[in-house]
Amino acid sequence: MLKYIGKRLVQIFILLVVYVAVVFFLLHSMPGGIKAMLTTNPNLTPQARDSILHAFGLDQSLWVQFLTYLKNIFTLNLGVSFSFYPTPVWSIIAERLPRTIFLFATATLISFFIGFSSGKSLAWKRGKVSEYVATIIGVITYTVFTPLLIFVLIWFFGAYLGILPINQFLNPDLWVNTTFDAQTVFLYLLLTVSIVGAAILFSFIVAQKVSHRVKTKKIILYTSTAIASALSIFWWAISPYGIYGADIIWHMVLPVLSVAIISYAGTMLVMRDSMLETIKEDFITTARAKGLPDKVVRDKHAARTAMLPVITNFVLSMGFVVSGGLITESLFSWPGMGMTLLNATLAKDYPLASGALIFTGIFVLFAHLVVDIVYAFLDPRIRY
Amino acid sequence: MRPVLEVKNLKMYYNTRAGIVKAADDISFTLAQGESMGLVGESGCGKTSVSMSIMRLLAENANIVNGNIYFKGKDIVKLNDEEINKIRWAGIAMIFQAAMNSLNPVYKVGDQIIEAILAHEPNVTFEESRARVAELYKLVGLDPKRMDNYPHEYSGGMKQRAIIAMSLSCNPDIIIADEPTTALDVIVQDMILKEMAKIQKKLNMSMIYISHDIAVIAEVAEKIAIMYAGKIVELSDAVTVFKKPAHPYTVGLMSSFPSIHGEKKKLVTIPGEPPNLLNAPDHCRFAPRCPFATKECWEKMPLYEEISPNHFVACFHPQNLRKQVSKDA
Ligand SMILES: Nc1ncnc2c1ncn2[C@@H]1O[C@H](COP(=O)(O)OP(=O)(O)OP(=O)(O)O)[C@@H](O)[C@H]1O
Ligand SMILES: [Mg+2]
Repeated sequence: MLKYIGKRLVQIFILLVVYVAVVFFLLHSMPGGIKAMLTTNPNLTPQARDSILHAFGLDQSLWVQFLTYLKNIFTLNLGVSFSFYPTPVWSIIAERLPRTIFLFATATLISFFIGFSSGKSLAWKRGKVSEYVATIIGVITYTVFTPLLIFVLIWFFGAYLGILPINQFLNPDLWVNTTFDAQTVFLYLLLTVSIVGAAILFSFIVAQKVSHRVKTKKIILYTSTAIASALSIFWWAISPYGIYGADIIWHMVLPVLSVAIISYAGTMLVMRDSMLETIKEDFITTARAKGLPDKVVRDKHAARTAMLPVITNFVLSMGFVVSGGLITESLFSWPGMGMTLLNATLAKDYPLASGALIFTGIFVLFAHLVVDIVYAFLDPRIRY
Repeated sequence: MRPVLEVKNLKMYYNTRAGIVKAADDISFTLAQGESMGLVGESGCGKTSVSMSIMRLLAENANIVNGNIYFKGKDIVKLNDEEINKIRWAGIAMIFQAAMNSLNPVYKVGDQIIEAILAHEPNVTFEESRARVAELYKLVGLDPKRMDNYPHEYSGGMKQRAIIAMSLSCNPDIIIADEPTTALDVIVQDMILKEMAKIQKKLNMSMIYISHDIAVIAEVAEKIAIMYAGKIVELSDAVTVFKKPAHPYTVGLMSSFPSIHGEKKKLVTIPGEPPNLLNAPDHCRFAPRCPFATKECWEKMPLYEEISPNHFVACFHPQNLRKQVSKDA
């Protein structure tokens, strides 16, 4: 396993260098690029121009510039943002990347869960009206123009029902008298969720090791999940951050819902197809012949195996999630990487734009790695 | 002695867009405790359909339209899902035709066997079930260490043995082996079949061997049923079927295959097309291929009758046939 991960890490590193090169040369070949922006001012004297070019290293050859850039990236020296001068790009990204990760991880898990279980049930009970309805709705949400869908959601929940906040990260009125900043609260949130997630994963592994009966496994998993969640809710309730954390989560509902709606259908449709294929397999007949209950055959044998192509598809659709994320974040003014990238590009804030692009790339590559590792765990045939 | 399994006038049909496929048409036979029976017939004659009906693992478009299947007095046709699940594997286990793909690729082979044991015997602990699987592995000639391997780490023959071990795991009364060895080479085939027969005798189980190769079946089965186009056309003990075959199809089948024993026979295939079970005709289904067919055969369906004690045949001219065979000899 470690060897496999190591190999994938090397691949990722190479991909990353290629990706940085693409970003670098793209930015440089753009009309109105950085050189032009700094030097087209007619009031500049030639000396001033030369010294600017020298200061930014723009008088060197493109290759030297690229190598310097590469070195800077791998030492996390991303320069200073033009539009947030003099904040370093790195600290902007460090603040915003977690927000994007949180938003997308939540939405992805929810959409995967919904897509997986609905696809599974659709295939298992074929030919019902619900199958047609769900498939049609799925195809619609899958193919609809993303901004349109988001506008409809904003209108419906934000304006028509008026029950959900429609933009921003938090409600400023609530935060005026606080002594701590939103980022702290947010990081606590992230920490809590990670701890609870780790606890659930841990208890899942323990359950697998300790018991061999589905019932006991479920009891272990459910009680530990309940305890971990209850403890964390209790901590938030007694801490001074309670309502502020809730405020952030409340603002997350609609963006998460949007991303989930955009992406659940892909999972659902692939899962349905894959499940229909798997049901025909001989080992499903064997599982039935063994006298296993219908649910065990469906979940333990059919769904577990049918899941593999869904995960492959998930990797392939990752780019789609990123582009959808950019739109989602911008429309909800969610201050994450997508919005940062868009605003930085519009403001010609080159250091920030390239930094944001590169970190989005790193994020996607690592998400791939995680999915690959999960896949390797799920499919014994490809281990090592 | 009361039979463990009694199939009575079983009719199992598939509904297809083109019409009704009568895959099992009025099938009747009994199986006693400890008895081994062979079910023989060309590809597509409905052998698997009969065994799937006994397991009640019907395809979506399949229906049991008539008949009863009594397992220890209970009619499998009428049981609800929970009751049938109790009989599956613990009462009747099955080795599927596609044995190579019968194991789930994502679980360890041993765990898949243990799963069956734990599902049927809630009082058995995990350790006990592991010990039982280890025993079974030894019985079928596998290294018990292999329990913790995945199916893709097994060779074809090993998978086959593992599946035999799996079929034995809940001590079933009956095992149905649907062409258990077709995917293997002849030598391994013979070895595995002999081992199965040995185990069957040792544990005093009942067994239904299914094959298109009558010579293979003759090695292991005490009783042989010949199927043609969804019907049993001849049924008797193995010796009778071999020495005094009454149905022209049986004779044809026997000359189609060289015997494993090496006694050389001329290879003659049965002339004509294998039957189409779709919209099957009302007259004798073998008539189009039968050298002895008369007008009667083209008009009526022959009855399935006991022509001599424990020798059932569905043919209008079984006597004719015997003369014919002895003339040839
Ligand atoms: N799900 C199905 N729908 C329609 N027809 C089917 C279905 N399954 C099988 N049949 C048809 O039923 C007939 C009997 O099939 P069955 O699988 O029982 O034959 P078999 O004797 O086991 O053949 P083989 O030796 O090739 O395994 C065949 O004509 C087949 O085409
Ligand atoms: Mg078959």
